[in-house]
Amino acid sequence: MPRTIMVLLLSGAAGFAVYADLHLQAWQALLPLFEWMETTPVGAIGKTWGAAFAIIEAFHLLGLALLGGAVLVADGRLLGLCFVEIPQRWLEDQLHRVFMAGLWVLLITGVFMACAVAVKIYYLPVYWFKMLALAVGIVFALAIRRPLLQENVERMSPWLRRVVALASLMVWFTVAATGRWIGFS
Amino acid sequence: MLNQWIFDFAVWVDATRWSTLLHESFYLYNWVETTHVLSLTISLGLLFLIDLKMLGYALPNVSPLQIANRLHWPMLLGFSVMFITGALLFYAIPVRSAQSVWFRIKLLLLVCAALNAFLFHRALRQSAAGWSEGLPTPRALRRGAGYSLLLWTLVVICGRLIAYDWFDCVKEPHPLLAAFAGCVAGQEVF
Repeated sequence: MPRTIMVLLLSGAAGFAVYADLHLQAWQALLPLFEWMETTPVGAIGKTWGAAFAIIEAFHLLGLALLGGAVLVADGRLLGLCFVEIPQRWLEDQLHRVFMAGLWVLLITGVFMACAVAVKIYYLPVYWFKMLALAVGIVFALAIRRPLLQENVERMSPWLRRVVALASLMVWFTVAATGRWIGFS
Repeated sequence: MLNQWIFDFAVWVDATRWSTLLHESFYLYNWVETTHVLSLTISLGLLFLIDLKMLGYALPNVSPLQIANRLHWPMLLGFSVMFITGALLFYAIPVRSAQSVWFRIKLLLLVCAALNAFLFHRALRQSAAGWSEGLPTPRALRRGAGYSLLLWTLVVICGRLIAYDWFDCVKEPHPLLAAFAGCVAGQEVF
């Protein structure tokens, strides 16, 4: 119940922020941060050496593969498509470690890449859509999906399981697709 | 001789109507490329789970045979999507791709990865009969999983580097690189 209240409060706060144009003020206030990011040593490396940027970008994709593999198998199990003979909770715990490893690789390489092209991405709407999707994905995975499955996965209705699995697949697909679209913008 | 033949073939493909249409269509080309990249999550995502399991870093207490058998077909589906979209990407930009150093290295690595996968599956089949729960993963499988992780990491890096034009023929790279890239003397199509 406290978690439900927290999620509702967060959603309400986000809705109010959009309604009151607070997100535009926050966006304007963030410009100095993005300008500073480009001046950091990490930003300088990414801007100067194209090869370093490309290799870090490749590791970003490998992190995506790791996270995607864990999400696909975990949600595939929730949908009853694979490993149905393995206890859900045990499989969730094991795949969570792989998921977190993939997420950390994505975050670390993502910050490096963002520093190299900070001012460019600051003005790209698709970058902010990706950040929003990523924030939703992380909150959903860690504050909703995982506690929900840890507490009462055996008693959950099959329909709720399917909804959780489909929501998870959709949110991470959105993160990956919007991330790829940054490169085309 | 071989490079001239590859170049002539690429120029012929480049002149086809659909190649130009695919290349110049902003949304279609980008959707194909996005699908190519996102199918990584299915193909390499599942492959990495199998490899990490074989190396003992993920999913302990689950039979390696069970993991490999269950994830085999979805993984192959992912690889099929990757190869089809990869072929379409080549079709859209044939001359530059055929003469890309990184694309050529990537193809060599893909051949090595395919060979490694063949040997891995042969070792898996051979060890399946005498395998029981609790026994450590055979050395051949662990070695194959390690090579798989390394080869596919290099494939992804080379795939990413194709986008960069440092060694393109149009930039007249070092003669050794030009020879490896298959640059043709006096070529006017790039």
